[in-house]
Amino acid sequence: MTATETAPEAGAGVAVHGGTPIGPRVIAFARDYAALILLAAIFVTLSIISSSFLSFTNVMNILNQSTPLAIIAVAGTFVIVSGAFDLSTAAMYAVVSVVAASIATSTGSTWTALLAAPVLGLVMGALNGLAVTRLNVHSFLATLASSLVYKAVAVLVTGGSLITVTTSGFSDLGRGQVAGIFYSVLILLVVFALASLLLNGTVFGRHVFAVGGNSDAAHLSGVRVDRVKVTVFALSGLAVGIAGAIGVSRLASGQPQAGSGLELQAIAAIILGGTSIYGGIGAVWRSLVGVYLIALIGNGFDILNVNPQMKDLVTGVIILAAVALAAADRRRL
Amino acid sequence: MNRFRTRITATLALTTTTALLLTACGAADSASSSGGTRKVAVLAASSQNGYNQAVYKGVQQAAAASGKKITLKLLDGQFDSNTQLSQLQNVTSTGDYDGVVVVPNDGVGLAAAFPLSKKIPVATVLNPIGPDINKMEPQVDGVVTTVGVPPAAAAQKQAEGVVTYCARINPCKVVLLVGNLSTPLDVARRNAYKKVLGAHSNIEVVSTVEGQYDRDTSLKAISNVLQAHKDINVILSNADQEAAGAQIALQNAGIKPSSVYLTGAGGTKDAVAAVRSGAWKAAYINFPLSMGKAAMEQLIKAMDGGTPKAVVDSDGIGGVEPYATKETLARTPDFTGEWNG
Repeated sequence: MTATETAPEAGAGVAVHGGTPIGPRVIAFARDYAALILLAAIFVTLSIISSSFLSFTNVMNILNQSTPLAIIAVAGTFVIVSGAFDLSTAAMYAVVSVVAASIATSTGSTWTALLAAPVLGLVMGALNGLAVTRLNVHSFLATLASSLVYKAVAVLVTGGSLITVTTSGFSDLGRGQVAGIFYSVLILLVVFALASLLLNGTVFGRHVFAVGGNSDAAHLSGVRVDRVKVTVFALSGLAVGIAGAIGVSRLASGQPQAGSGLELQAIAAIILGGTSIYGGIGAVWRSLVGVYLIALIGNGFDILNVNPQMKDLVTGVIILAAVALAAADRRRL
Repeated sequence: MNRFRTRITATLALTTTTALLLTACGAADSASSSGGTRKVAVLAASSQNGYNQAVYKGVQQAAAASGKKITLKLLDGQFDSNTQLSQLQNVTSTGDYDGVVVVPNDGVGLAAAFPLSKKIPVATVLNPIGPDINKMEPQVDGVVTTVGVPPAAAAQKQAEGVVTYCARINPCKVVLLVGNLSTPLDVARRNAYKKVLGAHSNIEVVSTVEGQYDRDTSLKAISNVLQAHKDINVILSNADQEAAGAQIALQNAGIKPSSVYLTGAGGTKDAVAAVRSGAWKAAYINFPLSMGKAAMEQLIKAMDGGTPKAVVDSDGIGGVEPYATKETLARTPDFTGEWNG
C-alpha cells in the first residue's frame, strides 16, 4: 500500500485488538485487498475442482501467457497513477511487432529486430507524452488519436498482411526456457522489480503520485509536471516495446492486428488490482494481481471445458464485484 | 504566452498537414464516373486484413481483364457490422456507383440495407446477404451473385476428415477451436462440427475454446487445454490463424504437431506450407483472390445487362482440392495459397 492510500477506518466491533475493533479492520482489509483475495479464492477453488490446475507447468503456463499484458500493465500503472490514460498501447504493440518482424526478415538479424522493438516503443511513448503536454490535449483523446496513427503505420508497414519470421533463434525470447521457467517470465520479474523500485523508492515515483493526486499542487510545489507526464508515457511505450518483442518472438510472426484489445485489458487489470482510475493512488503489484486474476479465469474456463460463451459474463461480474468492493471503501469516506 | 503560441503553431501545423494529406488522398481516389466509366464500390469486411486484400486484388484483376473503364473504391468495414451497413446504404443511395462487391461482416444484418435506394447490382463474397447464412442463392432483391459455400457444409466436411482420422482411435479426443461464439456464423460451424462428431461414439469432444481468429489467443487457449488433456488426438479449427497458434502451443508442450490431427481453414500460405510439410494433417482452403475475381466478373455481367450466375461455388474456382491434405497438395506443387494472415 502506498502512502497515499487510505487507512482502515475505525468503527464499532465486537472484539478489540490493539485499540481497533477487529470487525471493521477485517472489512477494511477485504476492501483494500479485494482483488488479491479474489485471486487467492479462485486459485484455491480451481486447485480443488481441477486436478490439472495446480501443477508447476500450469502455473508457469499462466505466468508465461500473460507476460506481455503484465509488462504493459506494470508500466501502465505509472500512467494511471499520474492521472492519465494510454489508449495507444495496442497500436504501439502492433507497430513494434510488425517492425521487428520486418527487420528480422529483411536483415536476418534476430537481436537487431528484437532490440528495435523497445527503442521504437520508447519513441512512440515519448511522442504520446509530448502530444499530451505540448498540445495540452487530454491523454484520453491524445492517445486515442495516436493509436489511429500507429495502427495505420502498422498497416502500411505490412500492407495488412502477416509477416512470418523464419530467422534462426527469433523464437527463443518468447519460447525459450531455463529450468522450466520461460525467459519472458524472468523478464517480467526484472521489469516488476525495477518498476516497483521506481514508483515507491525514488523521487520520480513520488512526483508521479503527486501529479496524479493534484497536478496544480504538484506544479506549485516545484514538480516539473510535463516532464513527469512525458516520462510516464515514454515508460509505457518502452514496456509495450518489450512486450511486443516477446509477443512477436513467441508467434514468430508480426501482423497489424497484433495486440488487439490489449489497451483495455491493461487498463482493466490495473483498475481491477485497486489502482485508482482518478490517479494519485496505486501500486505496481496491484496491476499484476489484476492481470493474473483475469488470466486465472481464462485458464479455469479452458481446463474445465466450461462453455466459452460464459467467459465474458463471469469475467465481467468478477471485475464489477472487485471494483465495487474497492469503491465502497471510498464512498464511505 | 510563448507556450500558448507554440501549442497553437503545433496544432495549426498538424491540421494543415492532415488537410494536405486528405486532399492528396482524395485526388488520387476521386476518379470520375463520366465518359462511360463504371464506378464500383468494394466493401471490405476490413481493408487491413489479408483475406480481404486478396479479394480486392482479385476484383482489380477482373476489372483490368474486362477491358472496360472501371474505377474501384475500397471501403474499410473495420470488422464492424454497423459501419459496413452504413457504407452500403451510403454507396447505394448517392447514385455515384454502378455496382458493389461486398465481403459481409454480418450478412444477416446487412440485409437491412435492402431494398436499395438506387437499384444497382451487388455481388457478395464469402457470406450470403439475408437471414439464412447457409443459403447461397440470393435472398434479397439486389444481390445478383454470391461467391461462397454454405459455412455449415464446409464445417461438416472438415469434421468428416476428423471422423476418418479417428476411425481406429478409441477414445479419440477432440478439441474444437472455433472463432467467435458470439457470431451466428461460428455458432453454425460449431454446431456442424458437433453434429458430425456426435454421431461417432469413439469421438469425445473434450474441450471447446474460442480462438478469435488470432494466433496469440489460440496459443493461450490450447496451452490451457493441454494442461488438462495432454493426450488429445485432434485440434479442429475453423481458421488457419488459430491452428497456427495451436501449433505453437503443442510445440511448447513438447508435443510434435504432426503427431495429432491439426487442421484449420482459410488457406493461408502458412497453412499450405504446414500441410505440405506434414505439420498439419489437413486444411480447408479458401481462394479469396479467385473469389474476388469471380465476383467482379459476375458483377460486370450484371452491370452490362446480362444474367450473372446467382451462385458461384468458391470451392471449385481455385484449381486445387479445397479440403487439402499432403497427398492432394502434392498434385499441385506450384500452389502456395492466395493470401496470408
